Amino acid sequence: MSEYAENLSSALVQRRYEWIASTVDSTVKKGSGEIFTLTDMLDQVFLDKHLGIPIFLTILWTMFQFAFAVSEPFVVIIERVFEMLGAWVNQAISDPYLASFVSVGVIGGLGSVLVFVPPIFGLFLALSILEDSGYMARAAFVMDRFMYRLGLHGRSFIPLMIGFGCNVPAIMATRSMDSEKDRMITMLISPLISCSARLPVYVLIAGALFGASYAGTAVFAVYALGIVLAVVMALIFRRTLFKGEPSPFVLELPTYAVPDASSAILHMWSRGRMFLKKAGTIIFWATIIVWLLSVHPWEATSGGQVIAESYIAWIGHAIEPVFQPFGWDWMAAVALLFGLVAKEVVVGTYGILLGAEEAGLGDALVSQGLFTPLTGFAFMAFVLIYVPCVAVIGTIAKETNSWRWPAFALVYQTALAFIVTGVIIAVGRLAGLS
Amino acid sequence: MIRAALIGNPNVGKTEIFNRLTGLSQKVGNFPGVTVEKKAGRLVHQGREIEVVDLPGTYSLTAHSVDELVARDYIVLERPEVIVDIVDGTNLERNLYLTLLLLEMDANLVVALNRWDMVKARGMEIDIEKLSELLGCPVVPTVAITGDGLEDLKDSIVDAAGQKRAKGQDAALNYGCDIERLISKVEDLIRKSPALVEKYPQRWLAIKMLEGDEMAMEQTRACLSSSQLAEILSIIEAVEAAIK
Amino acid sequence: MNSSGSVSGGRLPLAFLPEGAEGIVLEVRGGQGVTRHLEDMGFASPARVKVLKSCPPGAMLVMVKDSRIALGRGMAMKILVRSIEEP
Repeated sequence: MSEYAENLSSALVQRRYEWIASTVDSTVKKGSGEIFTLTDMLDQVFLDKHLGIPIFLTILWTMFQFAFAVSEPFVVIIERVFEMLGAWVNQAISDPYLASFVSVGVIGGLGSVLVFVPPIFGLFLALSILEDSGYMARAAFVMDRFMYRLGLHGRSFIPLMIGFGCNVPAIMATRSMDSEKDRMITMLISPLISCSARLPVYVLIAGALFGASYAGTAVFAVYALGIVLAVVMALIFRRTLFKGEPSPFVLELPTYAVPDASSAILHMWSRGRMFLKKAGTIIFWATIIVWLLSVHPWEATSGGQVIAESYIAWIGHAIEPVFQPFGWDWMAAVALLFGLVAKEVVVGTYGILLGAEEAGLGDALVSQGLFTPLTGFAFMAFVLIYVPCVAVIGTIAKETNSWRWPAFALVYQTALAFIVTGVIIAVGRLAGLS
Repeated sequence: MIRAALIGNPNVGKTEIFNRLTGLSQKVGNFPGVTVEKKAGRLVHQGREIEVVDLPGTYSLTAHSVDELVARDYIVLERPEVIVDIVDGTNLERNLYLTLLLLEMDANLVVALNRWDMVKARGMEIDIEKLSELLGCPVVPTVAITGDGLEDLKDSIVDAAGQKRAKGQDAALNYGCDIERLISKVEDLIRKSPALVEKYPQRWLAIKMLEGDEMAMEQTRACLSSSQLAEILSIIEAVEAAIK
Repeated sequence: MNSSGSVSGGRLPLAFLPEGAEGIVLEVRGGQGVTRHLEDMGFASPARVKVLKSCPPGAMLVMVKDSRIALGRGMAMKILVRSIEEP
């Protein structure tokens, strides 16, 4: 029996390592052997006690900058194409019903969502590069100290990072975690990490209400709010539903590598195409339904001209009282209702309701006086928190193999959205904002 | 059609090899994650169609996390014709551990010795023939990033599919007479259940039981009589007591 | 050498080794699952380990079997090592 073994299982493991050692001995001649590799050198900096976290935050910020800088030209191209298409359709189709369907329903609705494909792909590309270069695992190491205090550990951090791109792959990435409790906590808080699908809403509202100089700050504040809420909820869940110590943290840090372009692009594509699929199916149908409801009854709305007379306005007015305390009108109510399908639809819905192209949407919001900066910010917060989209609900159901947890996520997030939004409005009004 | 599965430790370049082999023919079950989802793709080589499945990156097959469980269940239950173990050539000491576990499962194994360029750059020398002989399976050096060696790897997959690994072929690793005696004792008991013999490699199951693997215990409970099971447990207990 | 301790050179948790120090794994303590996982990752006696980074109360970075493994403090407490004096 092996001399070190404490039990049979360990004895078997040791025998395997002994065999491996002798095999390696007889087949491998080690080279001169590098004492201090490039990886060691980079780790000295990236994993430094004091520099580690500032470096990580800088990289995170750079990642967002990169995603938006890379994607901007493509956004402009898509906007132009859809504008031209819309104008052309209005001229080419003489039947007003068909023209409205194609230009407002199909092109308008889809166009307002597709402009966000480039930044989303940009974000996924940045995440792929971080992952392929080997830095992602370092971020987990650096953040472990912080995550430990939340009752989680560094490994939960990677899924949360991916969540900035899309919550669905984030929830799926929790699979590699060892402990069921840690996995559940990570899964339940990950929808609070603001995914790229919510960005269109922030960009629209913040761009319209806060002006170019403050819009960025407002958007950043919502992202930060999401992170803070995720932290708070993690602490609460650890102390209530999933009591106990975080599971042990073990993670191999790969050697650094220059990311290979083709594999980074493939990686980006495999994640990003999910968004395309969503835009092509769920979002498309949702905007068609919004269009149908907004132009019918056809006579009363004079062919979609007077939306106030449409079914959608009727629905909006019916649920408006729920949101009245926040100072939002029926359009916001409708947009949030359809945003249950996917949060991008909030923007698409406004596009149809205000009958404006993506570019003109912000101006339309301002000219109709739908939001003040306070109620607008509260709206952004609500969009961040309330019910993750159907895809997330479906993924949680699939991953937990139950309907209990997705139902729980739905209820707790909606409740949290009302509470946080209420607090924002109340504090704002106390501070004298309207 | 040949069914082949890729397996390997995390960060050995498995995903790159999978991409190289299957290109854009990849099908991802439902939503794609990093390597959590079962990805499959196809290729044609030497006129044979090969279906490649990418298993999650894992260090061992103890069913410690969902990933490990997925990989292990696939190998044990789906029985792919060929298993390609992607190994980081610069770090055999760690990577061969999984290889050894796979050999124990009677897997029809092909070892891809990846990062061969790094092996050379570091001035290392690996005796591939000897390694192949010791492991009892083909070893092919590859460089995933450039695609070098992948044609050889495809050849090896087709060859390996042609010649089934003989059941109960001599194990690469001898655990030493004390432990080997225990293994064969438990194997004898397992052989009394035709259902178990049909479903699992006996030696592997015996070793898993000696390790106290919960899943293995669970599976055997249904197939063995309570007295047979008690016998196995008493063997394990006696050994544990002797060690302490 | 035997595994029951009392060996001079000390038997201490890996977590107590300072940055740059090296040790030999003697034993992994803890539940079956955790022990086995650590062993599968290479922390099986008599593996050689080197502490690359240690940032209490956060994780530590350890070199074992030619790769860098980040270990939570709790995990590092479960691995008992004998420290090797630098030559």
